[in-house]
Parts: sequence; structure tokens; C-alpha cells
Amino acid sequence: MNPPRGEVLQGTLDLIVLKTLDALGPLHGYGIAQRIQQVSEDLLKLNQGTLYPALLRLEQRGWISSKWGVSDNKRKAKYYSLTRSGRKQLAAEAESWERMAGIIARLLGAEGA
Amino acid sequence: MSRLRIFGSRLLGFFWKCSDAENLDTELRAHLDALTEENIRRGMDSEEAQYAPRREFGGVEQTKETYREQRGLPFVDTLLQDLRFALRLLAKKPGFALVAILTLAVGIGATSAVFSVVDRILFRSLPYPQDDRLVSFGVMAPFDSREFVLGPDFVDWRVRQEPFESITAVEPGSVDCDVAEQNPARLNCGQADAAFLPTFRIHPILGRNFTREEDRPNAPRVALLSYGLWRSRFAGDPQIVGKNISLDGKPALIIGVLPADFEMPTLARADLLVPLALDESTGRGPDARQRIIRTFARLKPAITLTKAAAMLQPLYQESLNYVPVQFRKEVSLRLRSLRDRQVGDSSTASWILLGAVISVLLVACTNVANLLLARATGRQRELAVRAALGASRKRLIRQTLTESLLLGILGGLAGCWIAYLLLGFFVSIAPDGIPRLQQAALDLRVLGFTLGISLVAGILFGLAPAARQPEPDLLAGKESRATARNFLRQALITAQIAVSLVLLAGAGLLLRSLWKLQTVPLGMDTQSIVAAQIDLAEYRYPQAPQQLEFFRQLESRLARLPGVSALGLSDSLPPSGGMQATFLSSIEIPGKPPFAEGTGGMIGYRYVTPDYFSVLGIRLVSGRAFRTEDLAANTNPVILSEALAKRLLADADPVGKSIFFRNRNTWRTVIGVAADVKNSGLTVAADPEFYLPWKPDPDGYFRQGHLLLRTPQNPQALERWVRSEVAAVDPTVPVKIETMSQRVGKLADRPRFNAILLSIFAAMGVLLAAIGMYGVVGFLVAQQTREIGVRMALGATPQGILRLVLSSVARWTISGAVLGLFGAWLCARLLESLLFQVRAHDPMLLALALVILLAVAFLAAWLPARRAMRVDPMVALRYE
Repeated sequence: MNPPRGEVLQGTLDLIVLKTLDALGPLHGYGIAQRIQQVSEDLLKLNQGTLYPALLRLEQRGWISSKWGVSDNKRKAKYYSLTRSGRKQLAAEAESWERMAGIIARLLGAEGA
Repeated sequence: MSRLRIFGSRLLGFFWKCSDAENLDTELRAHLDALTEENIRRGMDSEEAQYAPRREFGGVEQTKETYREQRGLPFVDTLLQDLRFALRLLAKKPGFALVAILTLAVGIGATSAVFSVVDRILFRSLPYPQDDRLVSFGVMAPFDSREFVLGPDFVDWRVRQEPFESITAVEPGSVDCDVAEQNPARLNCGQADAAFLPTFRIHPILGRNFTREEDRPNAPRVALLSYGLWRSRFAGDPQIVGKNISLDGKPALIIGVLPADFEMPTLARADLLVPLALDESTGRGPDARQRIIRTFARLKPAITLTKAAAMLQPLYQESLNYVPVQFRKEVSLRLRSLRDRQVGDSSTASWILLGAVISVLLVACTNVANLLLARATGRQRELAVRAALGASRKRLIRQTLTESLLLGILGGLAGCWIAYLLLGFFVSIAPDGIPRLQQAALDLRVLGFTLGISLVAGILFGLAPAARQPEPDLLAGKESRATARNFLRQALITAQIAVSLVLLAGAGLLLRSLWKLQTVPLGMDTQSIVAAQIDLAEYRYPQAPQQLEFFRQLESRLARLPGVSALGLSDSLPPSGGMQATFLSSIEIPGKPPFAEGTGGMIGYRYVTPDYFSVLGIRLVSGRAFRTEDLAANTNPVILSEALAKRLLADADPVGKSIFFRNRNTWRTVIGVAADVKNSGLTVAADPEFYLPWKPDPDGYFRQGHLLLRTPQNPQALERWVRSEVAAVDPTVPVKIETMSQRVGKLADRPRFNAILLSIFAAMGVLLAAIGMYGVVGFLVAQQTREIGVRMALGATPQGILRLVLSSVARWTISGAVLGLFGAWLCARLLESLLFQVRAHDPMLLALALVILLAVAFLAAWLPARRAMRVDPMVALRYE
């Protein structure tokens, strides 16, 4: 089930989380947040609390799975990792995102010309 | 698929809520700690390092809230929360809960039970496809209460009629038939012609219908089994078709099995269906033995009842040519729907009961509405607090709705139980002859409907307080001015009083009528008499001499029984009808002109033994009773009833006169005149009748006999003796034993049933109205405590306060009573046909009902009003 269009922000967060997990492997919530800040070079002001409901949503859809583990600084932490269907979803979403971005870019380009 | 997965995961989350919340806490704390450490590493001072992460993270509690909502099933969560709260509220005020639930239960239960009974009579379709096209038609004549057709007319009409697709003939009533083989049993055989099953569109589940050839006199005997008989006697044998059984001593071929829901259109019992075998060669002359049959038909499409009746008129007029002249003015053509014929006089009573029980339901709903309104007013402050703390209006409405629904469901469950009990009770006290009562069962549609009504009432009135934005003033402890709602409450009470008064007046009328019926003089003494009814099978006792011999033997045996002080025998028994009869015009008095016009109506007669009059205590007004010498073959005595003597001879003494019975061509001498005895039911005056001695008679017919035994002992003790004596003469003869009082009591069964039911409903209505009154007055007193306190502080006496409270009660009660009197006056008209010797507008009964209702209402108001007298001004002023 594709999330309905229009929820762009939410959809984007899902895509970002999936991509992060795909790139870095299993990661806990804090790690994901740090990574997002890092990659976006603090341009994306993420309210870190919203990450957790998003993680739950992804897990409910079966795209990621979670497991309790121990973090680098010896704390109990929940590690999230991408599942097979999550990987498929990522591919599909990335593609649709790129297509959308392409369309928007062409549109804006045409406007400019 | 994915949706299902999400739901599954949410469902899991719903059940594993606790451990999950802890997990989330751990996870979030770890996240925050990591942020703090990071900040410290970056060199923030420790206090700042504590707060910064919170800014970065956003609200922890909000996150948890969103997470929780997403995790479980928030709808169910809220529902459970509201339910828990509602249950706590109910448990806190068990009185309120009990009254509300009981009220609902009584309303739902009574309505469902009564509706289940009348549904079968008034609304449910008959067990035939397209039953609304089925009609009953025929001729109405003075000697039968239902329409009939004579055999030759039927044969003629069958060919020439136009309004019907097909017509069919059925034997009136049921006919006894004996099945032999291993264990003999007396069963009921329905008789119908070959067109019967096709006309009613009934298809045998096994085998076939009988053919036209089998439906002729003296054709080889065939029979269809009813489903019940097939299952019970033949163990549902699938190979039954083609087997022979012994029917009335002769073999009959089983050709089929009828469906389980089969019933005769006459509602007569039918264990077997056999051909009517109408003799089509019977002529129309006055001497021909024309058979009386019931005729049914299926209307052609687009033909209405009126149109069909008009189309039948020419045929009917033609058939009148064959009817003796004196008859013609007294007969008419009748055509009515099958349902009308079956329901007959049950319909009025059914509608009245239905109306009564709906009134009870109305009173119950009003009560619940009142209770909820009262409670809602008391809870306005609570709702205001909730709203102030941030509960949305939607949330408040949802909570109130849950509470009302909870009450509705609890009441509904209790109601189902009450309905079940009541229905059993109705069936157990019901008289014979209420169509289809045995099949009445609680119906899910009915329960659902009544439950729906009470839920709607509960929801409407339960929502009223939440639908309005709570006033902030309430928070300051100020009372809301709920005058509008008080008015609504009072209007509801007024309506309850009015409806209860109508019910009470109706019940009063029926009870009074029942009392009159049970004390009506019968003209005979029915105390300590046992009546044994015996029906001889025609194939075992085909002729009068054998029948008389059987009864002679039995009579001499019974006379020897210990404890029998007198013994009489007759072929029929008062006070129910059903005796043999002849036309008044066939009785001629020498010197008086015969009846010029008409038949003069039917005159019943019985064959009785000499002791019949003394056993039943029937007084002889003049002359004497039969004696043994009257049983000799060469005498022809007759005893007239007083009414018949008046009719024939006005005031002259008939004793010693000779009377000519034209249709039997015999002269008889009147030897006595007997006092009138009720002989066609309890409600009408005695019909004229005459008595003939119990002895061989050319026209005599002695298949049925009633033995009357007067005994000073307990009548039950005699029963076993009588049975064994009957068995000693012929063990195959069935016998029905009742006391005379039981027989008479049965005639009042129908009115008793109606009166009991209506009384129960009236009692329920009054009780519910009293509960409503009690609740509302109690609530008003509680609401006005401060006002009362102020008044008392200013010098009002307790009596003055009581007057104040009761005077407002009196206003609603009196307006309700006025409305109720008006309603009772109107409704009494509907009851008129059910009443016996009671005027529908009996002012005494109405006044009595009014007094009872006012007394109950006053008591219900006085109990809580007393509390107002005891208000302590100091406490009341500090009340808020």
C-alpha cells in the first residue's frame, strides 16, 4: 500500500529513515536522528520525537524490524534494521521520488525558460 | 493485506500495552541521555545540557501520546475507558441503575413477548406461498358460523367460476381416524380434494399428491402423512411411500409426506391428509344428502376481493334456486381473505393487547428518559469541569452516549429474559383456539426492534445535557436554571399518568366483565359432577344399536361404582354449543299456522337418559322428567325448554299437547317443560331447545356420549375408576374426563386470558409511573434544597413546604388524569366487543381507576416530598 500523496512530509521522513537504515545497517533511534542531522547538514530541522511514531509505523507495515541490543556506550537500545520488503519499498519509493523530483524540476525549468 | 497486517500489529499492541510503554520509556530515555552526553561533550554547562535535548527532541509526553495512539486501538481504548467509568457510576448509584435497567427490561420484555404472540396472528405470513391471494368463500346460513358450500354447488362452481386460478374443497373440522398395526391410535384426518395442494402450492417432501381418480368415493384408499406423524410413528422412514397402513380398519396406501410447516387452512389438526372423495353425482333435490364443505381459492392476478365477490354473484344467485324458499332471505354470499377467516375474533383482542403493551413500553421509555434527564442535570458541573480541563465536545458526547448505551444493553439483556418468561406464561394460561399460539417463539426481529426503541430513547435523552456546551458558571457552584428541562420532565410524568389511567380503566372493564361472566347463572348445578366424554369410532360402531349397546353396558357398570350418587347420559352437554339441531319451522303445533316466512332459526336438541335432569339439577317448570317407561319403543315423548315453549305456544301450558316434527314425520307428546340452561356459550341468552329420550330413534346418532356422574367425593378420585370401566367394555375407546366446573370454566378462558394480560400491563404501567413520579419528585426536592432552606429560614413551616412540593405534583397529575380520562373514554369503544354485561363507559369503574391511580401517584410523590419537610435550613444554606 502506497501512502497517499499529499502527506509529503511524512512520506519523506519514511523514505529518509529507510534510506539511512539501508546505508548504515541496523541503528538505534538516536543514531538515525544523528545521521539525518549530519547528512542534511542541519538544514533539516527534525523534531526528533516524531521519529519514534514513524519508526513504529514502518515496523507495523513490516518494512523494518527491531531488536533490543547494547549501544556503543553500553546502554540498552533498540536497533532497527531494514527487512526484505522494506528494501523493496525503499527502491519503489526512491524511484517514485526521483520521478516526482524530475517532473517538478522539469516543470520549474520550463517556467524559468 | 498490508492493512490487515497493520491491524494485527495494532491488536498485538493493544494487548501488550504495559510492557510496551516501559520499552518506549527506556528507548526515549536512552535517546535523551545520548543527546545530553553529546551536549556535555561539546562543552555545554550541565544545566543547559539537561534542557537542550528536550528542545531538540520536542515534547516527550506528546511523542508518547502519538506513539500510544498509533500503537494500539485508540477507539477501543476510549470505549473501554468510558465503559469502566459508566460501570463505576452505575455501581455508585445502584438504586438508579436497578430502576433504570428494570424499567427497560419490563418494557422490552413485555412488548417482545406480546408482539411474539400477536405477530403470528396479525402479521406473519401464512405457511403458503403468496398467501395474500388465498381466500375463503361460501354461503353464510343461520346454522353455521362460517361460510360453507354444498357439494353439488361446488361441483358446478368449480367449472364455471372465473375470478380464481383454482378452487378447492376441504372437510369442515377434523375427522377422527384410527390407525391400527402395532399400537392403535386415534388420530385426526384432514380431508381435501385433489386440487387442494396445488391451490395452496404445497409440495409433498416425499411422494405425490392424490389424483382426481383417487379423490372419488369408493376409490382405493390413499393418504399423505403429516411430517410429525411420519417422524414419530414411522421414524422418518425414507421408503415409506408405497407402504400400506391400516386406517379405520381398512388398508390405505401412503403416497406422500407433507412438509413440516403444513397446516390445514381451517386450522384443524391433521395427522394425515386423505381425499375428500366428494360424490359428484349427488343431486340438488331436497332429499339428496348434500355434503357441507369449506371452499378456498387462489385469486387470479389483478383480481380484488370485491371484484371476485361481484363475479361470483351470478353463480350464487343461480344456486339460490335450489334452496328451500324459507332459507333464501337468511343466507348470503361471503368472500374473505384466508387470514381474516383464520384470525376471526382473535384480531380485536390482539390489537388491544398490542396497544396496551406498546403503552407500557412508552411509559418505560419515558421513565428511563426522565431518570437520565435527572441524572444529567445533576452531572452538569462534572461535565463543565471536564470541558474546562480540555475535553472536546465530541469526547463528552461520546462518553454520555456510552453510558446510555450501556444502560440500554443491560436493560435489553434483562428484557430478553423477562420476555422469555412472560411468553412461557402466556402460552401456559392461553385458552384453546388462539391461532398459532403454540408456534409463538421469541423473535430476534422483535427483540431487536424493542431494544432499538429503548436505545433510541436512552440516547436522545442521555445526550441532551452533553449536546449543549456546559456553562462556565457551573464551575462557580451556581445552579443552572434548568426550568426548560424541568418542564419536559413534568410533561413526561403527565403523559405517564395519562397512559396508565387508560390501561387501568381498560383492565377494570375486562376484569369486571370476567367477573360477571363467571357468576352468570347457568340454569344448572355444576358442582361435584364429573363428565366423561366418549367418541366411538365409526368403523367399529357403525350403527345406532351397537352404539347404544356400548353405552348401556358402560352405564350399568358405572352405576355400580362406589361414590356415584347419580348418573346421567346425553349426546351433548351444555353450556357450550354443538348439539344436534333442526329448524324451528319444521316443528308444527296443531291449530296454529305453520311459519309463513323463514326458517325461524335453529333449535337444538339432545337425547338424554331419565336421570339427566336430576344429575344436573335442571328444574322442571311443569310436567315431569323422562321415566323408564318413556324408553319403551312405542312412546314418543318430548320435553321442551322454557324458551322453546314460549316460542311455540306463548303462555299456554304445553304439557299434554302433541307436536308434529315435519322433517321426521313424527308426532310427539310434550310431557314436561324444563327450565332454560345456558346452551350456546356463557355470553348469550339460552337458545330454545328440546330433549328426547335416549333410545333407538330412526334419526338418532349415538357416536358421542357424555356420562355425568354426581359424586360427593373428590372428583379426581373417580377418574381412574371410570377409565378402567370404559376399558373393560372396549379398551380401544378413548375417554376424556373433566369436571363440569372445568368444562364451564373453559368457556371463560378467552376473556380470562385477555383480562389477566391487560391487568398485568396496567399494573406494570402504574408501577412504572409511580417509579417515575418518585424519581422526579425526589430529584426536584434535592435540586431545590437550597431554596427550601431559604424559605424555612424565612419562617415557612414544614407543612407549608410539603404543600408547596405536592401542589406542583398535583398540577401534573391532574392534567395527566384529565388527558387519561379522555383517552380511556375513547379507548373503551375499542373494548366494547370484548365486554359482557358491562357498559364500555361505566363511570364507576372509571372513577375507581382514577382513585387508584391518584392514590398511587400521591404516595409516590409523598415519600420523597417528606424529605423536603426535614430539610435543616443551616445545612441547606451551606449546601453548595
